[in-house]
Amino acid sequence: MAVLLLRLAGPMQAWGVKSRFTVRATELAPTKSGVLGMLASAVGRRRTDPIEDLLRLRFGVRKDQPGTVIRDFHTARSLDGKDSMPLSERYYLTDAVFLAGIEGDDALLQGLDEAVKHPVFPLYLGRRSCPPTQPVSLGLRDAPLYDALREEPWLASPWFRRRHRHSAFNAELLLDLDAVPEEEHRGDLRGSRDVPLSFDPRRREYGFRQVERLEVPLTAPADKPSSSVDAHDPMADVEEAAQCS
Amino acid sequence: MSTYVDLHIIQNLPPSCVNRDDSGSPKSAVYGGVRRLRVSSQSWKRATRLYFNELLDASDVGIRTKRVVELLADRIAAEAPDLTESAPALAEEVFKAAKIKLSPPRGKKDAPQESGYLLFLSTSQVARLAVLAIAAARSGEKLDAKEVKKIFKEAHAVDVSLFGRMVADDTDLNVDAACQVAHAISTHAAENEYDFFTAVDDAKSRSEEEDAGAGMMGTVEFSSATVYRYATVNLDLLAENLGNSDAALRALEVFVKGFCLSMPTGKQNTFANRTVPEAIVVSVRDDQPVSLVGAFEQPVRTDETRGYLARSVEALAEHAHAVEGTYGLRPVASFIVSLKDSDAVASLGERVSFADLSGRLRETVAARVADEEQA
Repeated sequence: MAVLLLRLAGPMQAWGVKSRFTVRATELAPTKSGVLGMLASAVGRRRTDPIEDLLRLRFGVRKDQPGTVIRDFHTARSLDGKDSMPLSERYYLTDAVFLAGIEGDDALLQGLDEAVKHPVFPLYLGRRSCPPTQPVSLGLRDAPLYDALREEPWLASPWFRRRHRHSAFNAELLLDLDAVPEEEHRGDLRGSRDVPLSFDPRRREYGFRQVERLEVPLTAPADKPSSSVDAHDPMADVEEAAQCS
Repeated sequence: MSTYVDLHIIQNLPPSCVNRDDSGSPKSAVYGGVRRLRVSSQSWKRATRLYFNELLDASDVGIRTKRVVELLADRIAAEAPDLTESAPALAEEVFKAAKIKLSPPRGKKDAPQESGYLLFLSTSQVARLAVLAIAAARSGEKLDAKEVKKIFKEAHAVDVSLFGRMVADDTDLNVDAACQVAHAISTHAAENEYDFFTAVDDAKSRSEEEDAGAGMMGTVEFSSATVYRYATVNLDLLAENLGNSDAALRALEVFVKGFCLSMPTGKQNTFANRTVPEAIVVSVRDDQPVSLVGAFEQPVRTDETRGYLARSVEALAEHAHAVEGTYGLRPVASFIVSLKDSDAVASLGERVSFADLSGRLRETVAARVADEEQA
């Protein structure tokens, strides 16, 4: 068993679970169906191709930078401008950074890692208009999913880490229940209907999974004042405070 | 593994409101902890498609409409004037054979039936469907549903192949989009501003008895920013959708032109924001598409000597090299079209004129496609 770690970051993401009709919502973290779908398309599978092997994978995600939800007001018209379609609202998660982990058979994960680096179809973060920033694959780890997701360094941006430099940031960790070691169970469980039984558009089906919610304290590495990115900038805190208000 | 063509564009949007939400505010997003101007992907895709009309023959462009019965009936009538009267009924049969639901438009019972959603059809598809309907009417035989479906699945228009098509009634007819367009966002923090305006009533201002008050007043919300635009084209999927790689190369050329030079039309008469890109980087890749938006996660800042444009191009170049150096994500070839020359521009790729861009791109990509077809 190995773990493939993915960095899911970009200006916008959208992870829908129960959207219907004109309101297209997003969850606050990547979904299992969204990430498995991304991997399946990276390998070059069509929506109607079997995904049984992928369903055996365990999944977990760490919210390194939770982001904010925005609403996009969406209109659609025919090219000649004569016909209008129903107005829709699309919700997006902006400015978020996630660490996702997939646990399973070594050979399968090596294939997926290679596919993410050379995808047959382009990758996107839940919605086609949301391409990821690089790198997406952080490579394979030889550790259980639970440990791999706890030990990976904090992926948040410098400005976000700066805000939490005086105290640890408690990142939410959402894990398949069976990926959490028995002695670590906290009992903070929720059901999530995002197990993709089939991506076939004629009969899309999703099953339930049990997700345990944990917290991981993350701390920023020691400040490196000499680096150009974190150059001395006394106004930054003031500006950040202003933006928060 | 597929061949991808990435497009990165740095472009200035002067005070404007090209894409707004339901309250009239320019769209925005938070990135790097600060608010940015945003132009949605769907907005710029529509502008690109409208630009196609200027670049392509009508037979290559699709039409997106609910009025499919009217469209096909007109074509049938044009091909076979003796069938003019029965043309709407013949057209209805065709869509029924493809299992596309039709209903009369709301409030207009006598008007031709419409599909329940916008349907994307290429002109050559409409022509082929008309031929089929006419043949069926002449022979008195029933339409072959298989033949009808086949037409829906072949010879897609250039824009259908690029942007995809969704048919809710029959997902077999879906076309997966070969291109992916990101929302454009400003490379720096950008807040919306309000323009308070008054409009003078000419007749009132001429009258000496009237006060000097305005005839009307209001506010227009706008923003001004340098934006980063990104799109990627999956060349293999494009060739699959269009049926052959030659058509794919032509479609790629048209897309590059259309995406670079188009501008969404929102409030264009108010702001005349008709700009062209400051810099265009086109990269051919065989590993993975790479969005360079991370260059602007830390918002670009300016001083009194240099504006956002030059700084954004520098940040883009710096980030491109970091991605290449750190992850070895090296494009097969990169071309840059730029208004100005600088070290940053030189380091981003081979500088070419916009006129030469499509030719150079075609050469590079065609060689790869030929290799793949042989392999």
